[in-house]
Amino acid sequence: MSLQDRKWEIERFFQERTEVLAAWPSGRGVDLEEALAYHRGLPKEKVAYYKLLKGQAEGRIYLQPRAGVALIDEHIALLRSLEKEGEADFLPTTVDSYTRQNRYSEAARGIKESKAADRSLLNGLPAVNYGVKNCRRIIEATGVPVQVRHGTPDARLLAEITLAAGFTDFEGGGISYNIPYAKDVPLERSLLHWQYVDRLCGFYAEHGIIINREMFGPLTGTLVPPFISHVVGIIEALLAAGQGVKSIAIGYGQGGNLIQDAAALRTLARLGRSYLDRFGYSDVLLTTVFHQWMGGFPQEEPRALGVIAWGAATAALAGANKVIVKTPHEAMGVPSLEANLAGLLCTRQVLRMLAEQRVPETPELAEEESVIEREVREVFDRVLELGEGDLAVGTVRAFEAGVLDIPFAPSRAARGGIMPVRDASGAIRLLDTGNIPLSAEIKDFHRKKIEERGRQEKREPGLRMVIDDIYAISKGRLVGKPR
Amino acid sequence: MSRKDTVVLGVIGADVHAVGNRILEMSLRQAGFKVVNLGVMVSQEEFINAAIESDAAAILVSSLYGHGELDCRGLRDKCRESGIGEILLYVGGNLVVGKRTFAEVERLFRDMGFDRVYPPGTLPEVAIADLKRDLGL
Repeated sequence: MSLQDRKWEIERFFQERTEVLAAWPSGRGVDLEEALAYHRGLPKEKVAYYKLLKGQAEGRIYLQPRAGVALIDEHIALLRSLEKEGEADFLPTTVDSYTRQNRYSEAARGIKESKAADRSLLNGLPAVNYGVKNCRRIIEATGVPVQVRHGTPDARLLAEITLAAGFTDFEGGGISYNIPYAKDVPLERSLLHWQYVDRLCGFYAEHGIIINREMFGPLTGTLVPPFISHVVGIIEALLAAGQGVKSIAIGYGQGGNLIQDAAALRTLARLGRSYLDRFGYSDVLLTTVFHQWMGGFPQEEPRALGVIAWGAATAALAGANKVIVKTPHEAMGVPSLEANLAGLLCTRQVLRMLAEQRVPETPELAEEESVIEREVREVFDRVLELGEGDLAVGTVRAFEAGVLDIPFAPSRAARGGIMPVRDASGAIRLLDTGNIPLSAEIKDFHRKKIEERGRQEKREPGLRMVIDDIYAISKGRLVGKPR
Repeated sequence: MSRKDTVVLGVIGADVHAVGNRILEMSLRQAGFKVVNLGVMVSQEEFINAAIESDAAAILVSSLYGHGELDCRGLRDKCRESGIGEILLYVGGNLVVGKRTFAEVERLFRDMGFDRVYPPGTLPEVAIADLKRDLGL
């Protein structure tokens, strides 16, 4: 396999680059020298890396919405409002789903039809179609860092174009933007394509421009136990650092139980740092991102705001460097500006109110943290062992063997052998651990927690319970009660 | 004459939302249907080919990501061209970008030739009951 966790020689990168830029006409507009010069001229407040560095030093929690529409003028107007009225600390440019699958002609049709209909028919900005010059207008029109958010297994051209346009922050990774976002993309291929993206960021870093790379923590957003997203995030961080990335954010999606979420956020920062240090990447800035609830939302806006506020409270009490904010239109699809503002203001209000409070150090929190740390270690060690010391190779083999697995993933590259369910207090456990190499002691812990719920609800834990959990929050509870 | 107990299921376009698709498949099977589940990222042609091959009575289309309007347009015409013009077409999910009333969305998709249109968060039971009624089961 040509995939290895080793920094690409720059010749290999430039060789592949010719082909990448030729994939769509806008690729011709990318000029690295010009891009570096543009980045050098950006004020620090518009650069993600500097803002994250400052925020971490000051203990601040930044807020970032999701937003993207088909037409660039409307997109810019949307971002300006989110910055001015919503006080967003980081702005997004969410990319549409055709672009995510490299279907640029369909994206072009989406632009055309959106113009004709005078409303957005795409769920994001088709940045590749717009090219460097148009995308740069976004950077020129805004005063805070703008991040590219998407879900693209092959984001090489998207990265070339948006980074050259002046974006300083790019989300995604070879696992987290494949397994939850694709059906047929081999993992080896997406890991190679993301090594390209990371090597591009490494090239920028070698020239003094540090691009922040964020790994997508929530994965499928559906009952993902913390240790699974932690292992994935840590692997992606190490692979990115291996290509020369100097600023990395790893993420976690809210589960809903405060103790488990607090334990997850606290261990994510600690474990991430310790693995980066252990692999020799002590010079890499590491930050954490918390995603408010990523599963199904209630239809009614006030109820949805309740879910959002609980996410805000969790972030405030447990600590994170950035929160990705949901909107009260979540159950309805792509949100309006007003809904996005409501999510931001609601979150800000709760964060400020809880700024002086921390989750109490209890035995329950300590136990939850120690369980997550053990789970991560047990799985990570096995991945490295499968790769005979090479993390990239080990990752591919681990997914093939089901040693790494993600619940409810659309991709054939995931084995789909595990089944999560909530315990009596709403923490996410594994009903079926599939081929994940957890120790007997940890498996016992999961089993006992689930049995406890079974007794309380007087039913055998099984698929019915899992489905009840998936619908639970949209129906007004955390734990899915028997219908 | 199509087989009344067979339905084709899938998430259309470039959409990768897999969770509801799995739940729908399990629920339809429990209700006694034979399900050809094409999973996520299914093109109009794949839906139609699967319906012809399995002699299905209905195509159940899901779309959660907002591109439903672009992805679903022309499906009824393609069914007609392929000789299955009368097949039942259901669609459900987050079908459009932006908040629009469901009545508006329903009209839009009915005009496109869908027999039934469902808002987000519809439980599988609802569609299954309609399916049984429409098929005279």
